[in-house]
Amino acid sequence: MSLFKYESELREPLVKGSKSYHQITEDLVAPIEVKPGKLWYIGFFIALCLLLFGVISVYTEVVYGIGQWNLNKTVGWGWDITNFVWWVGIGHAGTLISAILLLFRQGWRTGVNRAAEAMTIFAVMCAGQFPIFHMGRVWDGFFVMPYPNTRGPLWPNFDSPLLWDVFAISTYFTVSVLFWYTGLLPDFATVRDRAKTKLRKLLYGIASFGWTGSTKHWQRHEALSLVLAGLATPLVLSVHTIVSFDFATSVIPGWHTTIFPPYFVAGAVFSGFAMVNSLLLIVRKMMNLQQYITIGHIEAMNKVIVLTGSIVGVAYLSELFIAWYSGNRYEAYAFFYSRADLFSPLGWSYWGMIAFNVLSPQIFWFRKMRRNLFVTFFMSIIVNIGMWFERFVIIVTSIYRDYVPSAWTVYYHPTIWEMGFYIGTFGLFFTCFFLFSKYFPVIAIAEIKSIAKTSGDNHKWAVAPVEAKEPEVFAHEYAH
Amino acid sequence: MANKKHWQSFGERGNSKAFQDANKNEFPEDLLPFEEVDGGFLSAPTPRRDFLKYLGFSTAAAALAASCETPVRKVIPFANKPEDIVPGVANYYATTYVEDGDAISVLAKVRDGRPIKLEGNELSAVTNGGTSARLQASVIELYNTARLRFPTIDGKEVTFDAIDKSISQAISGPGVILTTPVTSPTTLEVINKFIAKYPGSRHVTYNSVSYSGMLEANEASSSYGKKAIPSYHFDKAKIIVGLAADFLGSWVAPVQFSKQYAAGRKINEKDIKMSKHYQFEGILSPTGASADERFQTRPSELGLVAAALLSAVNGGSVSGIQDAKLKAGIQKVAKDLLDNKGASLVVSGSQDKNVQIVVNAINEALGSNGTTIDWSILNNTRQGTDSEFTQLLSDMKAGSVATLVVYNANPAYSWQKSDDFVSALKKVRTTISLNEKADETTQLCKYVVPSNHFLESWGDAEPRTGHYSFIQPTINPLFKTRQWQDSLLKWAGEPSDYETFLKTYWMTKLGGGETMWLKTIQSGVINPPAAAPAAAAFNSAAVAPALTAVSSKKKAGKYELVLYQKIAIGEGQGASNPFLQEMPDPISRATWDNYVMMSPAMALELLDIDIYREGRADEYEVHPEKPVVKVTAGNVSIELPILVIPGTHPNTVGIAVGYGRTGKIGKAADGYGKNAYPLAQLLNGATVFEQYDIKIEKTGKKSKVAQIQVHDRYDSVIGGKRTEVLKVLNLPEFQEDPKEILRDREEELKPYGGIENFEKQGTIYPYYDKPGIHWGMSVDMNACNGCGACVVACNIENNVPIVGKDEVARFHDMHWLRIDRYYTGDVDNPNVVFQPMLCQHCDNAPCENVCPVNATNHSTEGLNQMAYNRCIGTRYCANNCPYKVRRFNWADYTGADSFPNNQDQTTVGKLDATVHDRNEDLSRMVLNPDVTVRSRGVMEKCSFCVQRLQDGKLKAKKESRPLKSGENNEWDVKTACQQACASDCIVFGNANDKNSAISKVRRENPLRLFHSLEQLHTMPNVNYFAKVRNTDVKEPETPTA
Repeated sequence: MSLFKYESELREPLVKGSKSYHQITEDLVAPIEVKPGKLWYIGFFIALCLLLFGVISVYTEVVYGIGQWNLNKTVGWGWDITNFVWWVGIGHAGTLISAILLLFRQGWRTGVNRAAEAMTIFAVMCAGQFPIFHMGRVWDGFFVMPYPNTRGPLWPNFDSPLLWDVFAISTYFTVSVLFWYTGLLPDFATVRDRAKTKLRKLLYGIASFGWTGSTKHWQRHEALSLVLAGLATPLVLSVHTIVSFDFATSVIPGWHTTIFPPYFVAGAVFSGFAMVNSLLLIVRKMMNLQQYITIGHIEAMNKVIVLTGSIVGVAYLSELFIAWYSGNRYEAYAFFYSRADLFSPLGWSYWGMIAFNVLSPQIFWFRKMRRNLFVTFFMSIIVNIGMWFERFVIIVTSIYRDYVPSAWTVYYHPTIWEMGFYIGTFGLFFTCFFLFSKYFPVIAIAEIKSIAKTSGDNHKWAVAPVEAKEPEVFAHEYAH
Repeated sequence: MANKKHWQSFGERGNSKAFQDANKNEFPEDLLPFEEVDGGFLSAPTPRRDFLKYLGFSTAAAALAASCETPVRKVIPFANKPEDIVPGVANYYATTYVEDGDAISVLAKVRDGRPIKLEGNELSAVTNGGTSARLQASVIELYNTARLRFPTIDGKEVTFDAIDKSISQAISGPGVILTTPVTSPTTLEVINKFIAKYPGSRHVTYNSVSYSGMLEANEASSSYGKKAIPSYHFDKAKIIVGLAADFLGSWVAPVQFSKQYAAGRKINEKDIKMSKHYQFEGILSPTGASADERFQTRPSELGLVAAALLSAVNGGSVSGIQDAKLKAGIQKVAKDLLDNKGASLVVSGSQDKNVQIVVNAINEALGSNGTTIDWSILNNTRQGTDSEFTQLLSDMKAGSVATLVVYNANPAYSWQKSDDFVSALKKVRTTISLNEKADETTQLCKYVVPSNHFLESWGDAEPRTGHYSFIQPTINPLFKTRQWQDSLLKWAGEPSDYETFLKTYWMTKLGGGETMWLKTIQSGVINPPAAAPAAAAFNSAAVAPALTAVSSKKKAGKYELVLYQKIAIGEGQGASNPFLQEMPDPISRATWDNYVMMSPAMALELLDIDIYREGRADEYEVHPEKPVVKVTAGNVSIELPILVIPGTHPNTVGIAVGYGRTGKIGKAADGYGKNAYPLAQLLNGATVFEQYDIKIEKTGKKSKVAQIQVHDRYDSVIGGKRTEVLKVLNLPEFQEDPKEILRDREEELKPYGGIENFEKQGTIYPYYDKPGIHWGMSVDMNACNGCGACVVACNIENNVPIVGKDEVARFHDMHWLRIDRYYTGDVDNPNVVFQPMLCQHCDNAPCENVCPVNATNHSTEGLNQMAYNRCIGTRYCANNCPYKVRRFNWADYTGADSFPNNQDQTTVGKLDATVHDRNEDLSRMVLNPDVTVRSRGVMEKCSFCVQRLQDGKLKAKKESRPLKSGENNEWDVKTACQQACASDCIVFGNANDKNSAISKVRRENPLRLFHSLEQLHTMPNVNYFAKVRNTDVKEPETPTA
């Protein structure tokens, strides 16, 4: 009992098991050096199958046209843009954890940042597929690039929020990849140094850019990390803000809403953290990283989830209030009938959203629930379904019934190829993630060492027998 | 010095023979040493030095032969260019659209030898340039892949000589020529020649939907002593009463009537008045939808209503009517009629001779005979009577008809007991069909001598007495076909062909020689001198027995049935035309099918479909699969899906005829809908398209109905009353408070500076002047009756693709212009509004700023333009269009895509056969070369017919004058929809020109003018004029949730 007086009573250790630096290296590089388990192969195979299905779906759509999806003259965007916004949202947590928490010196981030950043990058890759392949003529998609050309010149329309998306997402992706890779350099060097095969040495040697671990390298590494963190921080806010402009700048009731930027960012963080939770719970189980990704981490993220979930809840209420307060009958129709009326054709999606995003995360006010792995995993899935509903609600329930009643329709449900595209992005995501977990250190080795309290723990263990003694005994022994 | 020659070699100096040879042949080596290998090319030794040459040559040859597959395209230049044909410039020829006797004067636009579009001939005093949807679409039939391409005997191809020979031998004894009404004087002569050659022969006229009741009522023993239909003047009538007569859609001559009707509906804001139209009917017709007040009657009750109206008009009481609403209605109508004696008109679509006699008596009492009804000019287009045909049928059964020559008539399909006709036909020894297509009757005929399409023919027509309209060919016959008059002349043993016959006939009649003939052909019409309408003597003795007959109430069951004609499909002629099949019905907004029209009350009772409450209506309206019911009349039954049509009488259902055809007449007809003709019945010698006692049963099945619009109500209960999309008022309100709309608009725009300053203050962006041309369109909702001529005209002018039923059911229709139909008020008997909706060409267009690649942008002339080449298909513009008028190419409908063979989708979005049919070389001949055929993946929409605008501007420029758009009725440009409209609802032109028609109508009608969704600050260049309903009945206030 007396041991704990050297530990914070409020904050549990970020790494458990009193690891030595060597032990940490051994633990974290092991997955790269040994053959993966059966589970990995099964998972990877399933991911590849899903990816293949996605490729077939996209091929069909590109060859036969967007008519392979059930979009129509009124509902021009459906699952495609819903999935796009959903994946982009998920791609928010990684950079938020890495960049903003780095700037705020949140030590706990080190256990989860690598995987979260990888998730971000893969999620943004998945997200990018949708705006690309939702185009009717994807082969002409490069028209959006502003470069001097011989086509007139065809210059993009800088007024269009879709064009802003192109820049926002490509910038975010670039910075995220750079940031992630910067963190990976020392770890690649570690793998290289331990490599027993020539190939591994060569590949990790190239990947580590000749890292030697000199003080100069470390100093530059730290500086670059901070600069990129500084760059990435506004991007976390800007990406989803700009994605929300796709809707906010339009004239469609339900889209034309000034609350969208903060509401979208909060929602993105919300879904991102949920996705990190789902993934980490799998990874820590699969790779035996329970001592690096602790219950404390999970709890911290659950706190973010309950916070952001409540923020979106407030946003939903504000929307309803404004729909009433503005006196705009079109907006009122969109919010009170197309959405909030459970018995309207798509009312179920609104109430699904409310139940999953606002009500269910309230369970995390209870510490016991925050620390319950099963509940956390279940909730992480629920939140992501809820956030999918949110995007679906925003996109489809706004346009399927807007100004001119003659154009109203709800004949919108996805076709097999539409679902296949979405499933395919899961395939892409998990294929990347399985490869990542096999070939990359899933936890930032160098960074986690900075929070491992090896020296402190040694002292603690050394002092323990001393502590156990009565003062008199101790004084007696000391005197002798 | 000057002659000094610098020599380069001794050979040059001496100019030796060797030098000259060498100089001539500078490169002595042969390029390819082929001459060395005469004979055995394969065994010839390849010289080592030439190896690379061989290699290069063979590679190039192989590449040319194999990889560069260049399709063979035949471009045939004019060896001797005709003087009047300039490639790329269209010529217009006056001709006449003839369909089942209905004849409308048109101008055919011929581009590079191909007729591609029809416009109304404004010189015609009958239709004044008006057109119908069927007329607009008829040019498609010329290029229909299902047309018969050669004469056949028993289905085997033969030459004309051979078939003429065997027919001449086969015709023996008296024959019958069975045709649809013939109004052509020369054709009647031709028929007479044939009859003269084969004595005892006769000519029988057949109408699928006949006007027997009316013709017989007007005949000798009854009312006027003429078995004819007079001409009507809806324009002169202040009170119009329709008793189940769909005179704007299908009754007698809808194009002419629409034109007249619209004249009475147009409002002059300085002196606000308009005609008043009452309609009594069982199912909601387009005419009923236009009516100011509409009363629902069961079909069996119509006679009683007519009798009651006659009694009321004669000052008596209204008796025999149970329904209080209907009774009050009749009294009100009678009062209005009496107040407007001599300026009123009552028409009835009844097939009951007695009802028609009563209607004649009403008109007589009102002094309509000779004012709004003109007996000096008869309507010749509907002459067939059912008694004539039943006589023929019994003759055929008796075996006394040896030869039957059929042209255009199709009783094997449309006679109510078609089996009777089919079996009777077997008793006729020689059966000859002269039809253009292998319709149901033609399939049964031994000899088939296909006739030309009217655009390949010569001819004339006399649709109204003294009004002649001429037909001249606009293209050589595409196939081995022969005009049917030529065939008859040949078989009659006449030496001359029909063209000579026609010319001789008219040159004799007209005088003035060749010049006069050419002049007449050029203008296309002969109008008689204008004369006041004349009355005919009325035989009042017939009225009393007729009254007795109608007053005994018909035996009726719980449910009754009305068979009606759709505007697009008609009696079934439109079924083979994909443009007509895909044209939505103005009332049901359904395409490609017939169905059972049912009232909301009946739907609730029978099928538990509740459209009274919006929330429950959704369930019904959003799925294209509708419940199927079985309708049984006597021993005939038919299974069809239902559509709930508010305004239908609660005990009456309606089914359209003309469906259930086979693919033999065109892919577009194949398997769509069911044939409802067998449900008609023969009563008192006339085919009556009504049943008074039917059974309706649930089947539990569902079937797809492809509707273009699924939400019907405008005055949504939930979310408050919408008023910005369209505006409707009642005439008394409008007369009392003419500024109501202006005030509403002012109120709505008050936060942004009111109407005056809205353009500048409603936005944060700077204001720009709009100098030069600024195109604008004005649509008068008061004149629009939803007929759809503009929709089809737009489709054909702009190469709008046909997508087929399955794609329409997925809401993938491509129409650039649609006519929205809304119901307001009482769900059981609602008011109906039509609103033509097209791209509004907003000056501050929401679609333009969201396109990432600038594919849609604004022209300096106010056009919202699409650059198809730029479009990458994000569909953002369509989402952001408040009017939802943008259309996306979901699949490769036109075959214009760069991806080959991508129209064979199987899992999702299978394209109907008719879509593939549109991509045949023959079908594509009708495409307008001035308009790009859009490929898959691009957005398209109304362009205000920009090709026409460019053409018009060019015309003005060549003549060095400003463009004219309606100044003194001179037009350089007209959009296709404007030109097609029989009601002249659409005015288009340069709004910056103070003298243009568009500026004028906007200036003169400020009180009714509004822009749809004006408050969004889209600044549309299309304006509407509010619909004014001439009624004092106020709509119930919409309850708010």
